[in-house]
Amino acid sequence: MQTMKLTRRNFLAWAGLSAVGAVACEGFGIREGEFDLQSPAALPEDLVRGKDNWYTSLCRTCPSCEGIIVRVMEGRAKKVQGNPLYPTNHGKQSARCEGALQAAYHPERITGPMLRSGPRGSGQYQPIEWNEALDILRSRIQASAGRAQIFTGPMRGHMGMLVPAFAEAIQGNHLAFEAVDNVTYRAALRNVFGQGVSQATGSGVLSGVLLPDFDIANTEVLVSFGADFLSTWGSPTRYNVGYGEFRGEAPDLGFGGKKRGSHYHVDSRFSMTAANADRWIPVRPGWEGYLAMSMAYVILRDNMQAPGVDVDALTGGRGAEALARFSPDTMSAILPSGGVMGEDAAHLIEGLAHAFAEAKPGLAIGGGSAGAHNNGLFNLEAIYALNYLVGSVGAPGGVRFNPGSPLEGIPASAEEATLADWSKAAEDIRGGNTGLVLVNGVDPVHGLPGSLNFGDAMMRTSAYIVSFSPFFDDTTITADLVLPDRASLEDWGSDIPEPGPGFQTVGFQQPVINPLSELDPRSFPDILLSIASDLGVQDKLPWNRFEDMLKESSEQLYELGRGSISAGSASEFWNRLLAQGGWWDESATGPTDISPPAGLLQSIVSKASPPDFSGDGGYFLVPFAHNTLLEGRNAHLPWLQATPDPLTSITWQSWVEMNDNDAAALSVVEGDIVRLESPEGSIQVPVYLTPAVPPRVLSVPMGHGRSSGPDTATDRPATESQNVMDILSPRQVEGTGSLAWAGTRVRVTRTGESIKVSKFEGIVRAVEIGILPGERIIQTVTPGENDP
Amino acid sequence: MADQRFDHKWGMVVDLDRCTGCQACVVACQSENNIPINTKDLFLQRRAYEWIRVERYWEGEFPNVKARFIPIMCQHCENAPCEPVCPVYATYHNDEGLNVQVYNRCVGTRYCANNCPYQVRFFNYWEPVWPERMRNHLNSDVTVRSRGIMEKCSFCIQRIRRAELKVEQQERAVLDYPTMKKRNFLPACVSACPTNALTFADQSDTTGPVNRYFKALDDHEGGESAPRAYRLIEEVGTKPNVIYLKKVDKYPLKNGGGHG
Repeated sequence: MQTMKLTRRNFLAWAGLSAVGAVACEGFGIREGEFDLQSPAALPEDLVRGKDNWYTSLCRTCPSCEGIIVRVMEGRAKKVQGNPLYPTNHGKQSARCEGALQAAYHPERITGPMLRSGPRGSGQYQPIEWNEALDILRSRIQASAGRAQIFTGPMRGHMGMLVPAFAEAIQGNHLAFEAVDNVTYRAALRNVFGQGVSQATGSGVLSGVLLPDFDIANTEVLVSFGADFLSTWGSPTRYNVGYGEFRGEAPDLGFGGKKRGSHYHVDSRFSMTAANADRWIPVRPGWEGYLAMSMAYVILRDNMQAPGVDVDALTGGRGAEALARFSPDTMSAILPSGGVMGEDAAHLIEGLAHAFAEAKPGLAIGGGSAGAHNNGLFNLEAIYALNYLVGSVGAPGGVRFNPGSPLEGIPASAEEATLADWSKAAEDIRGGNTGLVLVNGVDPVHGLPGSLNFGDAMMRTSAYIVSFSPFFDDTTITADLVLPDRASLEDWGSDIPEPGPGFQTVGFQQPVINPLSELDPRSFPDILLSIASDLGVQDKLPWNRFEDMLKESSEQLYELGRGSISAGSASEFWNRLLAQGGWWDESATGPTDISPPAGLLQSIVSKASPPDFSGDGGYFLVPFAHNTLLEGRNAHLPWLQATPDPLTSITWQSWVEMNDNDAAALSVVEGDIVRLESPEGSIQVPVYLTPAVPPRVLSVPMGHGRSSGPDTATDRPATESQNVMDILSPRQVEGTGSLAWAGTRVRVTRTGESIKVSKFEGIVRAVEIGILPGERIIQTVTPGENDP
Repeated sequence: MADQRFDHKWGMVVDLDRCTGCQACVVACQSENNIPINTKDLFLQRRAYEWIRVERYWEGEFPNVKARFIPIMCQHCENAPCEPVCPVYATYHNDEGLNVQVYNRCVGTRYCANNCPYQVRFFNYWEPVWPERMRNHLNSDVTVRSRGIMEKCSFCIQRIRRAELKVEQQERAVLDYPTMKKRNFLPACVSACPTNALTFADQSDTTGPVNRYFKALDDHEGGESAPRAYRLIEEVGTKPNVIYLKKVDKYPLKNGGGHG
């Protein structure tokens, strides 16, 4: 054999032969890419390579479910952007949307079906084949005979029909989990707006209340209570689009634009929304409804209600007198002593009520922590009732109601289970009344309040647990069988956005990529359909695959003969549907002429009660959904962990926001770890000092402190829980049974430990340092100052 | 045909009254431009970086307190302090008004970053690492910068180049703002921004949203035709191609409150 002398020249020729090159480079220890020629003449700005395609789909990283377009090159998803045609987000996106890419290409995705091989919770699993896995699932479903529980997220669109129908077919119980649920919000909407929010189409599973849209763009004075609507509450991207227009002078819209709207935010926490408001009104936790009622009193007393408002009907003939107990003079206790910006409570409320009533139009919205107290239902009803007084119910610039679903049986809203439902489920699981638990897409062990001991029930249960999660989390780690679902970019789906844009809309999600070859996931709805067929219950679920179900609906939409797509045939319609990302009909709007229930204000007054708190600690605990991780569903995605929190700039870890003076009294500085203790337990979190948190209020983001799952999602090593849900008392909102997650008081103690906080801002607190106006980083202008 | 060039001068306008600090631009930019994952270690080392970042400034104390947000990216200065100090011409001004970084030339002296008043140039202290599978979503239009290289916002030049190639060179059409917007050639942060606080166009394009602001400031008419327009740290004379519109502060802290 002739040996070849290895010179640089013939090595290059040899290494150039197909795959040998890579192997040889590895063998010789030459780094991959070493031989890639880089021309100093070709500038990066001149490089444009490859052909790309953009496909429409839906984003699944937040509940509002944006329409997206995904850039795909050579079978790989590269970029997510808002779908410019989609009626809710108008081509825009939130910070969370790009996370779909990382969910698809996450290194810690579960590669295929797995069977538990060690003790429950040990994380020991052995891979098995899909056939075997589905046999196990099928036999477990048959054996469970009416004792199965199915836990999923709130489901709208086709999943909202499929999962409850499957649960019914196997005589199981379906619970939809959402850590920050809309149960109280929906109850308030039903009581205040009645027909405006009721489902138009009626079938067995549809008993829900449709969340309304808010015409923020066209309102003049916006008063928001508790709801962090620019960050996490409701449909934040849609609200942000409207908020941009609300702020007026858009370079896009030409010089002048519309008049700039004013925004007042009433909240016990200084949230991102509070930071954006023209004025933040720091109400004491749980008193939002009193403030709203006080505004209503001023409006009625000064006869400032909109023309045509039937005050007698609203108040049972008593007029302003019906609300006399909410007179602004009596409200001093609900605002900081010493007033806000030089105004005492009474002046502030009078001024706010006048600004709101004089607006053309005004809009009041509420949610978040305002509805998460024992008196949350009263708070929200009081807030939304304000819209009647200024005539903005069903009117432009006000509350805009949504129509129901255009598809028979496909729900347009997703009702969530209440705390009471979860409490019962935990009992059933612990006590052996549940034989089988199927979990998809939710992590109730992490997200339910610790006092339910849901994790303990799952660990000790005799029930068989099957998780369909593509990632390990605190719930999946208890599973006996793991059947990984597809990532959203790999799967079919649909959504009827909630809140919708005020007209009928159905979004369609198509797979834009195939799973990588080393991954073997299966679509959750496809598994349900195939099991249904095996069990002989296909009369209720007569489709082979989820895609068939969507195609059938596409044909129904085609036959409606209206809406955004015109096509000559059903197949052409289907193609256009996927090209546009959905179907919508701007003329199919919700009701506009809604009159208030008789005696509405009277009935709200009768519900008024001060907030009341669990625990005897001296600090109010106001948790909040994290800007990118939400209540924890995105905790495994590196981009979303690394995105600085808008107010604190903290990344990758939990924290507690504390007022400077409180911290001084406790002798803690930033990074000191404190223990927050409630009757339910304790957590340890580092302190972040801000000048904006009200005294005696502590805020901790949800979403952190998972104990199982990808490294990105867990904050190891932690000696004690960091999950704020663990210390929430199981207190319920009166009249709705939902968790009053802002109703806990805690004690704070120093642990003596301290860490460096992982954050983006510098070490010194960032305050404006410019002395002359022209030197300021963020320059401001006060209306009237420079106006021509 | 390939040599035909059209005159452009790109510019961005940032409306601070619209920015809500939501961070959508930040993540969109990281995805578009192959920015390495900012791990917790990088934050603790203070070496995490974002080509566009949202800064937050506090003002006042509870209860009279405000927080303001400002997105900051490379200002693409006309008189860029980073350019003359580069010993290898790795950073220069191109004929479309962009401050360009040539990664192949950069030798990592970091003089440019030291000379930048906006702190928008970032040095790769470490070789960027992605988990093997996540390399699938890297943008093949954008170079991955290796250790020892300076990098910064490019106004998504790969999108601009794609636009010029497709529209001007291949289709022989006019690359105006509506085309940029409709065909998705705007920078990633601009197309992401849900409140339209960020806008981008050719400065001389009268169909675009930025023309009148640049005209007003450059013709020294600022106070009249664009009262909110200003440039960041204007007094150092860098003349950025980014214009900010002042935040409207209805209730300034110093003047007390009052519903006006």
